[in-house]
Amino acid sequence: MPRRRDEYEDDELEQDEEEEYDAVDEEDEEADDYDDGGKTKRKRGRSEFIDDYAEEEDEEEDDDDDEDYGGGGAGSRGGGAKRHRKAASGFFDEEAQVDTDDEEEDEDGDDDFIDPGADIPDEDDRRIHRRPLLSREDEQEDVEEIERRIQERYAKSLNVEYDEEATDVEQQALLPSIRDPKLWMVKCAIGREREVAVCLLQKCIDKGPELQIRSVVALDHLKNYIYIEADKEAHVREAIKGLRNIYPSKIMLVPIKEMTDVLSVESKAIDISRDTWVRMKIGTYKGDLAKVVDVDNVRLRATVKLIPRIDLQALANKLEGREVPKKKAYVPPARFMNIDEARELNIRVERRRDPSSGDYFEKIEGMMFKDGFLYKNVSLKSLRTLNVQPTFDELEKFRKTGENGDGDTSNLSTLFANRKKGHFMKGDRVIVVKGDLRNLKGLVEKVEEDTVHIKPNEKGLPKTLAINDKELCKYFEPGNHVKVVSGATEGATGMVVSVEVHVVNLVSDTTKELIRVFADNVVESSEVTSGVTRIGDYELHDLVLLDDNSFGVIIRVESEAFQVLKGVPERPDVALVRLREIKYKIDKKIFAKDRYKNTLSVKDVVKILEGPCRGKQGPVEHIFKGILFIYDRHHLEHAGFICVKSECCMMVGGSRANGDRNGNTTPSRFAHLRTPPRPQSPMRPPRGGPMNFGGRHGGGRGGRGHDSLIGAAVKIRLGHYKGCKGRVVDVKGTTVRVELESQMKVVAVDRSYISDNANVTTPSREPSRYGMGSETPMHPSRTPMHPFMTPMRDSGAPSLDGMRTPMRDRAWNPYTPMSPARDNWEDGNPGSWGTSPQYQPGSPSRRAYEAPTPGSGWTSTPSSSYNDAGTPRDSSSAYANAPSPYLPSTPGGQPPMTPSSAYLPGTPGGQPMTPGSGGLDMMSPVGGADNEGPWFLPDILVNVRRSGEDSSKGVIREILPDGSCKIALGSSGNGEIITSLASEIEVVAPRKADKIKIMGGQYRGSTGKLIGIDGTDGIVKVDDTLDVKILDMVILAKLVQT
Amino acid sequence: MFFHIVLERNMQLHPRHFGRDMKDKLVSKLMKDVEGTCSGRHGFIVAITGVESIGKGLIRDGTGFVTFPVKYQCVVFRPFKGEILEAVVTMVNKMGFFAEAGPVQIFVSNHLIPDDMEFQTGDMPNYTTSDGSVRIQKESEVRLKIIGTRVDATEIFCIGTIKDDFLGVISDPGSTS
Repeated sequence: MPRRRDEYEDDELEQDEEEEYDAVDEEDEEADDYDDGGKTKRKRGRSEFIDDYAEEEDEEEDDDDDEDYGGGGAGSRGGGAKRHRKAASGFFDEEAQVDTDDEEEDEDGDDDFIDPGADIPDEDDRRIHRRPLLSREDEQEDVEEIERRIQERYAKSLNVEYDEEATDVEQQALLPSIRDPKLWMVKCAIGREREVAVCLLQKCIDKGPELQIRSVVALDHLKNYIYIEADKEAHVREAIKGLRNIYPSKIMLVPIKEMTDVLSVESKAIDISRDTWVRMKIGTYKGDLAKVVDVDNVRLRATVKLIPRIDLQALANKLEGREVPKKKAYVPPARFMNIDEARELNIRVERRRDPSSGDYFEKIEGMMFKDGFLYKNVSLKSLRTLNVQPTFDELEKFRKTGENGDGDTSNLSTLFANRKKGHFMKGDRVIVVKGDLRNLKGLVEKVEEDTVHIKPNEKGLPKTLAINDKELCKYFEPGNHVKVVSGATEGATGMVVSVEVHVVNLVSDTTKELIRVFADNVVESSEVTSGVTRIGDYELHDLVLLDDNSFGVIIRVESEAFQVLKGVPERPDVALVRLREIKYKIDKKIFAKDRYKNTLSVKDVVKILEGPCRGKQGPVEHIFKGILFIYDRHHLEHAGFICVKSECCMMVGGSRANGDRNGNTTPSRFAHLRTPPRPQSPMRPPRGGPMNFGGRHGGGRGGRGHDSLIGAAVKIRLGHYKGCKGRVVDVKGTTVRVELESQMKVVAVDRSYISDNANVTTPSREPSRYGMGSETPMHPSRTPMHPFMTPMRDSGAPSLDGMRTPMRDRAWNPYTPMSPARDNWEDGNPGSWGTSPQYQPGSPSRRAYEAPTPGSGWTSTPSSSYNDAGTPRDSSSAYANAPSPYLPSTPGGQPPMTPSSAYLPGTPGGQPMTPGSGGLDMMSPVGGADNEGPWFLPDILVNVRRSGEDSSKGVIREILPDGSCKIALGSSGNGEIITSLASEIEVVAPRKADKIKIMGGQYRGSTGKLIGIDGTDGIVKVDDTLDVKILDMVILAKLVQT
Repeated sequence: MFFHIVLERNMQLHPRHFGRDMKDKLVSKLMKDVEGTCSGRHGFIVAITGVESIGKGLIRDGTGFVTFPVKYQCVVFRPFKGEILEAVVTMVNKMGFFAEAGPVQIFVSNHLIPDDMEFQTGDMPNYTTSDGSVRIQKESEVRLKIIGTRVDATEIFCIGTIKDDFLGVISDPGSTS
């Protein structure tokens, strides 16, 4: 600084002289213009003095500037300047000029020191200005003088160059030190900063060296204060004495460290050029994205393209002179201008051709529109160019008009000119997007401040190339697996589908959605996550209970919140939930019932029968309060989750719950892969009535008795709470915790103390009965059978586990925690797969037994099959006549078993004889609704529903002994003949006046005509007897005669 | 691509199966356990073609289960980047379409569908060329090239393209029916 100052002092001397000549010269030649010239000079001086924008040099700009800053200040200042000029013109001409320039040089010095680059044109300008003078000087001055001057000038220009190339260290040397004059901050009236500065300038002119301050600075962005450079506070006080609008009470010293900041020019690293994306800083459009269409660097203005925020109605009102509320409560939403709409509101629309661009614009109230965009002329200062980061939504909007769709994307590159530093890392794949090496690909080797050293992929190039990071862009190939590291989708991973220079499209791994991101925000990664999958204790796809006691599944994890698909079955309801709004994770094993009262557990595959997602199918992921969350990978919304009521679903295939207990690790996975989910256990056929039956055993077999007992309504039979009813909440060993209905408390009772409540139809009750049954015959109705059973049980119960068949135990006593779920083993055995349907005919329906035809399997298989039945497989194989696959594999189990009588009663066959026992209850009213499985008869119209396919209509032609049916497809039965399992068949309900066939009851097999429907009952006129009967609709099937 | 390879697995067998048919049991269990599974290294195990050897079983304390090391031959299917596959379209939406080649699900983004094919909404969403001659909809068979794979523990997901020569629809259910 001191050095600079000295130079300037020298320079000043010289300049004095020059200016003298200048003045004289001008006086000579353009006497008339003198005043103007003076004004110009002074104005320039002032302007530089107070303005930190060094390049505002020439008159034009100056004037413009004044306009820009607008307001009364300019006017008064202008007036002040005029007055001053008038006064000065006569007497102080030369001195004034000199002084002005003095200041100017000073100022230049300051500017130089801050921004050496910015001022150079100035100097050049001045030199050019001076050159002609110099030639004139030649004649008048002696050679020495000229030499000295030239030398000095030469030295100076050298100096300038030196400055230009100044390194950081040298710059450092220029920083103010304690020996330099200090900067004082002085308070003044708001809005009068410039005026005060000008006054001080005038004072300086008037008083000359008396005034010991060095400079005065008024900053545009700093209201209420001006800076005065002086050595001592006293000098400042002296200088401001007697001035209006300035308050000497507040004079503050600017710390040396901050001095540079006072005068540093805001970073103008990017100059705004055409097609740059910017954001508006102020006004209605504050924060809006805009695109620069034209820049006038001279006037510091730019024309930008914006999406208008115009309230046409308000505009129309205004134009018609109606009262317009002054304060707008809201900012009108951004939307494209519709000229027609404007015309409708009687707003005058002019169509004008812009002389400079030649384009036509619609002009409304001085606003220019084109293609719906607003073209607005704004000051460059009101544009923000840094960190514009337009989102894709915004860009899409701009793109909408189409005509320059391509251009916009490529213009994204301007966004990257001001991106954050240090986003390239060693090993990144990059592509050069600008310059000669365009499209060269390489790997990043080293990153320096602005340059990136890359190792080009092409041969024949130097090993590494240093390239400006602005010319580089990360590069990905379709198929790359990447992770988003910043932006809205931060954390997501996916595969790149396509790359458009700076934009990468990727398919998210979890949601399968397309994500558009900037290449800069993406890194290659082998990690397969959905991004963040966990916040706190909660993970993606967890079922959580929320604050307001609603619940839902987390379907997406965002940076600080979860997206939760709420458990509202009517419509998908997605809520954004913060961590603290989650109460806890629901991690219970809960069961629900499907439409046909099958017990559903997690992982069971269900089909949705109702609602918007009808027809979708998938495994149950969560169950809560009767609501199922089903995952269907074909469902793209909500991460594949569908929320439905359990009653709206139907189980497809067997329950997987049992399979999972099978000690082997892959069963469920395996099962998923077989697309048509096969009934997993023959004992647990997929649907309907048989299900119930199977369910009973299934529960037992799976060793899941505990679980299925939970929730069951029971009655306590013995003990202190005898007679109380309640609901089972937990099962532990031999005790059951029951929540009493009457007493609002949970009590623990021995399992044998409870009895299932006959009124409630839960399958779970059966296991309990069986459990007890072995010990105490408490069902009188069943007593006749017990004699058979008891001896066997007695012998079996304790020793069973050990040496007889373990399976038996499981089959009969669900509470024995015998786990190796046999059905799964059996699944692996192709021979047994076929047995599932066979089971159905034998299933418990009483009607089936009465009926002559299909269900007769068991009757015709006397003891031989019961020998087989030495294995517990009996319940299926024995009935079906199928050779038990397990026969050989039950070592030593058989001999003790052989008393076949022991089994006979225990088999379902026994049940029909115990009317009123839970088993039947359950079957008949509700369960029966879907009990058609075993009742199929030829010539009835059915729906064949094979998993994975849509259902098709067909007519049963023949019923095979194993329970499956031959079905002729087509509603009249003339199509292809297929064989279907009973589980895939569904009877088509007849309509009024249809011919029907009765599938159950005493009229089984008869045909008739449905003459009316009354609720669930059908009024049937039986053909043979012409009787009119009222029969349950479920046993009626539509007859197709051939 | 399909491979026929030999893999090994330790099978646990419940003691109730000990007997004459133990080997069959073991094999059927192996099939059930293994077929259809997916491993990142080998891909999907499509079918077991044979059992090479069954090692000596080891009885495990406490449970009575027996562990057998089983070597088996199997056919595996693993998609590779750059592989050309034929697949059946399972779902079409505006982002592209999903196709399945056996157990492998392949997504073809609309960026990777030729530009002249446009998405048509409606009952049967599809991609159709402007002249309507080629249509991709559900059940269409397409030939595609895999450009990326992601291998999880239980599935392989691929991204494919039909934006290349000789790729695209090879049979169209719409035209035949």
